[in-house]
Amino acid sequence: MTANRRETRLALLLVFPAVAGLVIFNYYPILQSLLYSFFDLEFTTDWLRADFIGLGNYAVVMQSDQFWYTFLFTLGFTVVAVTMDLTLGMLFALATFYVPRGMRALLRAIIIVPWAIPKVIQASMWRWMLNSDVGPIGDLLMRLGLVEQPPLFLADRVLAMAGVVAAYTWKGSSIAAFFLMGGLALIPREVRESAVVDGAGAARRFVSITLPMVMPTLFVALLYRSQDALRVFDVVYGLTGGGPGTSTDTLSSFAYQNYFRYAQFGRASTYAVVTFILIGIVGVFYISRIKRNFSFRD
Amino acid sequence: MTRRERVLRHRAISTLIVALIGLWCLFPLAWIAVTSIKPLGTEYRIPVEYWPRNPTLDNYRTVLGERFTIQRAVFNSLVVSTGAVAGTLLLATLSAYAIARMRFRYRFHTLYAMQIAGMIPPIVVIAPTFVLMRSLGLLRTYWAMILPNTIYALPLSSFLIASYFANVPFELEDAAKIDGAGTLTTVFRVILPVAAPGIFSAGVLAFLGSWGEFMLANTVSIGSAAVETVPVAVLSLSRAFDLQWAWVSAGTMISILPIILAVLLLQRVVVTGLSAGGLK
Repeated sequence: MTANRRETRLALLLVFPAVAGLVIFNYYPILQSLLYSFFDLEFTTDWLRADFIGLGNYAVVMQSDQFWYTFLFTLGFTVVAVTMDLTLGMLFALATFYVPRGMRALLRAIIIVPWAIPKVIQASMWRWMLNSDVGPIGDLLMRLGLVEQPPLFLADRVLAMAGVVAAYTWKGSSIAAFFLMGGLALIPREVRESAVVDGAGAARRFVSITLPMVMPTLFVALLYRSQDALRVFDVVYGLTGGGPGTSTDTLSSFAYQNYFRYAQFGRASTYAVVTFILIGIVGVFYISRIKRNFSFRD
Repeated sequence: MTRRERVLRHRAISTLIVALIGLWCLFPLAWIAVTSIKPLGTEYRIPVEYWPRNPTLDNYRTVLGERFTIQRAVFNSLVVSTGAVAGTLLLATLSAYAIARMRFRYRFHTLYAMQIAGMIPPIVVIAPTFVLMRSLGLLRTYWAMILPNTIYALPLSSFLIASYFANVPFELEDAAKIDGAGTLTTVFRVILPVAAPGIFSAGVLAFLGSWGEFMLANTVSIGSAAVETVPVAVLSLSRAFDLQWAWVSAGTMISILPIILAVLLLQRVVVTGLSAGGLK
């Protein structure tokens, strides 16, 4: 046996447990979900005994208003939430570079707090914040004279959507901030300082120096946050439960209800597969972007 | 403007910025903290009290008492996350070593398989995973959460650890071999110590990921308080006691304070882990 083949054999032995795990808990379940989506599975997952209906589930789903509403809401949510994440994240990240050295550690510690709290618990915290009787947000809006009565945040379609975005962005902006801090740290000090000497104003410096230089990081952050937003589940499930009605249901939360509340495994799987396809589209860009990090050696 | 004035102005603006960001990042937490020390029933008093008239720790006593035992959920989360981290680090270190330091035919395939797995949305694997756990008889057990969480953390952990392995100079490895050290000795004495920070931060991130995981935990615990993790327990507490938010708040505080403190203490590790992975 040549040294080369021996090395390959040992390497495969080392990666085998990990790859086997990925197959069992990631790849095999995807195939299984795809399979479910071709069968008429109600109250059972025994697809061998269920009727094969081909693309029947897809045909039904594609013709339902509910699907298109949920699909568009998921896309709209992604656009709005990711924009908010990146905008706030950028402001936070810039702020950590702006404040004097002494305050920097404090500011970073503050920004990391929302990141440490599990998403579904954030959702329940925001449910209390948005309480229509004694929630501080409604109360403050009233004290500021902006509304006569505290709004019924979670009973109103548009307000419930805004609530989901707010709760999501609370954590998302922190993640984006730390992501972008990494990008901003790569900008050489001299570049910024020479621009200050040249008398460029803050806004001008941001547009013509900082933004172009942080663009690669921003782009990866955009892809990464988009994937996360497209599969959003915890925040919706914990804050509105998809309500009022199903108006804040995303593809994931709607599929989850269909799986585990209504036991419509076939129907639910079509929603899951659509979610997977959407994320896959973003994923193609993502992989091609991070591929260069793959060459650890040579 | 004199230099001194400029410094003062910079300081004032900075303080304002820190205050504003602090308001956004900390207010929800502060509101829960305030609610948790309100006497039960007064949390629904109008006008809204931003500071309780008679602060009390009764709610904490209640949620730690026999009726709720919120500490049980913290314990369950500790078991699940620790188990998952142990599994992840073992599998990730083995595969990362091969990926970063060996030449073999399927190296890129392995990397792709890992990275693609890292993007798979939980909803597309949840139902088959539930069915698998049911047929293995593992529903309502820790294993139903430990095993999948071990795998969910692999893509990031392997990548992170591999990037540390890759930084160990091959000369160092060769030198150890010339000194007569075997492969295993070389790995344990030379390579692992250099990669230790990477392994540690992969462990911390895997722990956090599994700690916050909700969809799977909610699905496989099926309302069994004996295995419910923190996210599941807090959500069901908040659903069941919507009129007793003083209790819910105290339960929330107990569940999230340990992890917030840990993240603050390990801030540096967490942040370098995030940026070195360049992904999460």
